Amino acid sequence: MRIKDHPILGPSEWGKRITLMIDGQPIEAFEGEPIAVALMAAGRRVLRYTKKRHEPRGIFCALGRCIDCMMVVDGKPNVRTCITSAEDGMIIETQTGDEQWEKG
Amino acid sequence: MEKDNLTICRCEEVTQAEIKEAIKLGLTTINEVKRFTRAGMGLCQGKICWRLVMSLLSQETGRPPSELMPPTSRPPTRPVSLEILSRTKRTTGSNCG
Repeated sequence: MRIKDHPILGPSEWGKRITLMIDGQPIEAFEGEPIAVALMAAGRRVLRYTKKRHEPRGIFCALGRCIDCMMVVDGKPNVRTCITSAEDGMIIETQTGDEQWEKG
Repeated sequence: MEKDNLTICRCEEVTQAEIKEAIKLGLTTINEVKRFTRAGMGLCQGKICWRLVMSLLSQETGRPPSELMPPTSRPPTRPVSLEILSRTKRTTGSNCG
């Protein structure tokens, strides 16, 4: 699902293959690409659920402005996955609403 | 009317119907709508919805957008962790190093 050859930007160049853990499941990604991109390439479009009506949210602005793509990354909540680079072994979890840091 | 369940504020899940109701109750500024409905109080501080709220206000009250002030969003403009702020060095003034 990734663009291999862009009509203006030309052929894509990807870095090292890495593994991310999404809600306990491993997925393949390329080092340095946004987490949300790796998730979309793996077929996952719903990134979190809202607090009040439990509605699904995914990539919306893709610029880091709208906070729809937030997920818990390595225990840290409210991480905007559209502007955060993927690193090998990252543990990513779905969040509901504005998650709190875990106590202790 | 058929669009009244449209989500205007994505962060706080405020619908068009709720905003129109607030305006009907007599609210006339974006800040007032924000305090009543929570639209613009979420994590993006109204970046996505404030212009939509302004548009609804203009549409419902007849006032032009130029008369409607932007809301008071709270800094920082983008989320910044306290860790980064604590590491910032002064670069101006007599104590800069």
